[in-house]
Amino acid sequence: MDKNGGWQWEITANPGWFRINLKELIHYKDLLLRFVRRDIIASYQQTILGPVWVFLQPLFTTFVYFIVFSRVAKIPTDNIPPVLFYLPGTIIWTYYSDCLTATMYTFVQNAYIFNKVYFPRLIVPLSYVLFHSFRISIQLILFIAVYLFFAIGGKNIHPNADMLLIPVFILITAAFALGCGLIISVYTAKYRDLENILQFVLRLLMFAAPVVYPASLIPAKYKLIFWLNPLTPLIESFRSAFFSHRPLPLFYLGISMATSFLILLLGIVLFNRKEIQIMDVI
Amino acid sequence: MGNTMIRAENISKYYRLGVLGSGTLKEDVKNWWYRKSPESLSTTSLSRDHIWALKNIHFEVGKGEVVGFIGKNGAGKSTLLKIISRITLPTTGRILGKGRIASLLEVGTGFHLELTGKENIYLNGHIMGMKKKEIDRKFDEIVDFSGVERFLDTPVKRYSSGMYVRLAFAVAAHLDPEILIIDEVLAVGDSEFQKKCLGKMKSVSGEEGKTILFVSHNMQALRSLCDRALILEKGEIIASGAPINVITQYLKSGKEQFLGNDYSLDGFLPGNEFIRVQKVELLPEYLDHHEFIDIRTPLRIRFEFWYDVAEPGDLITGIHLFSFAGEFIFDLPSKRYTLEKGLVRGECVIPGNFLNDGSYYISIVFVRNTTIRLFYLESCLSFDVEDFRDNGSWFGKWAGVVRPDFPVVLTPQLNK
Repeated sequence: MDKNGGWQWEITANPGWFRINLKELIHYKDLLLRFVRRDIIASYQQTILGPVWVFLQPLFTTFVYFIVFSRVAKIPTDNIPPVLFYLPGTIIWTYYSDCLTATMYTFVQNAYIFNKVYFPRLIVPLSYVLFHSFRISIQLILFIAVYLFFAIGGKNIHPNADMLLIPVFILITAAFALGCGLIISVYTAKYRDLENILQFVLRLLMFAAPVVYPASLIPAKYKLIFWLNPLTPLIESFRSAFFSHRPLPLFYLGISMATSFLILLLGIVLFNRKEIQIMDVI
Repeated sequence: MGNTMIRAENISKYYRLGVLGSGTLKEDVKNWWYRKSPESLSTTSLSRDHIWALKNIHFEVGKGEVVGFIGKNGAGKSTLLKIISRITLPTTGRILGKGRIASLLEVGTGFHLELTGKENIYLNGHIMGMKKKEIDRKFDEIVDFSGVERFLDTPVKRYSSGMYVRLAFAVAAHLDPEILIIDEVLAVGDSEFQKKCLGKMKSVSGEEGKTILFVSHNMQALRSLCDRALILEKGEIIASGAPINVITQYLKSGKEQFLGNDYSLDGFLPGNEFIRVQKVELLPEYLDHHEFIDIRTPLRIRFEFWYDVAEPGDLITGIHLFSFAGEFIFDLPSKRYTLEKGLVRGECVIPGNFLNDGSYYISIVFVRNTTIRLFYLESCLSFDVEDFRDNGSWFGKWAGVVRPDFPVVLTPQLNK
């Protein structure tokens, strides 16, 4: 007999803000992996090229950027070969935006399951992030292949040991995207207007991060606000790890990390609190 | 407490009706500003824009008990099961419980059409809370139970609907919870498969001692599976007890039966200058003291009328039985009677084991000299015949309008 008089679970009208049940999440880890597997299998069913699309998407995007921003608009790329310059930004940005868009529709897209079975709802957004992490891993291989191609070609590039931190950068990106996605998912479930607004915000946000231009292009007076965007130090550090001897912007990286994990924590708490209530309004 | 697995205390559920639209934000802000929460509303308050789906529900379920919930659509059965399954929150109250719960509000939840049968067994199993090792261990059993082993590597979108349901149910049947919650899933599959599922349910509750909560409209299934039944009406539990008694009460109260009318009480006798009907009655000869009509119940029809025709001639009355769908089932005429003016009583018995289960109504016709229709008393009686089966292995709808009990004899013949 434990303190609850032998009862093992309780359902109440007001579940409280902090009832994140790690043990339960771990119990459902097989489900998490199965969801990831489902998404991987399902996304390449009945496509001829299958997983090759994971490579092709960033390549196409990079090619478009190369034409538009480098050739036509002539935006400098910090003396880095344009294709190499665009790839890290594209990969990190696509990862962020894919994770965010996937997780923000958690309730809307899974209402039919959530209406029938209980499992910790957090499993679903986590599985989306893992699915896109699988994709970004493949894209990183592509990046390294292109990088080696240029390196052997004797281009002006300077690899350094900072590149070992790439997984950390990706982890921070994931935390930031998941945090934002969780918060937004709670509100899009009720106010669908948000979906429309977010499409614009996301597009705007891409140009606020150094995806298609180098951070060095930003005038000094906007520098602080520009670097406070958690994605800016991540993309810039990714580049400098592969292309220059510049030291990492540790201060901004620290802020980026703190912001991202704070948002993630906020997102998890809010999501857990609202996950069941939302079912009545969806 | 001891053996109690679930205890629900004062459960209520409030739903806001209407479309969530442009007014939603305004209302949310208003509610937030005034700190008005649904809890502050009383369950007795009435309003056009909200509804109490459940009101102050209390109940306990013991270990190994099979409890059935009966009620009309909208009575709150599904809401209650959803609250216990943690899909939606109660507005007030709490539920305490012990042990792992599995909810079958639907079979095959989360099946992905593009994936193969095998992948879907795992996916669905995990969604229902099974771990990989558990599924690995039961995999062969599940496949066996479903009978689709030849198509395990085929995407389920190529399955027939029967195969799909069987695979889905097979996974559900191999869940291993302490508490099982089932909502109307018996209505799936062909009869052979139904038999299999019900057998499985019986063994789960009986031999394995699992606690089962289930909702069904199938009185046969409820009767043979439940230890206890509860009636929900407009969000409240209005009866609880042995299934047979509760089912009887439900059938008596719930249906719009019209088992008779004594017109003399309200002073208006339907008819005309020749015929005035005073009374019609349906008097079922109930069996086992359960006051509802099932297929075994003989039905006595009795009617009284004033006959007021002076000229010589004869009278025939005809009893017309219709199914609720309007099919004319029989026209039962009386003999030709030559009657004096005055009160006449007619009587007839529809034997038991004659009508199939279903809803029926009766009209009575009065005919003079075999051709002149004096009066037609339309749909003066209506009644429902419930199903009854001795052997509880199949609960599908019995086909046909009538259901006679003539013996069919099989005798093995020697081949010479």
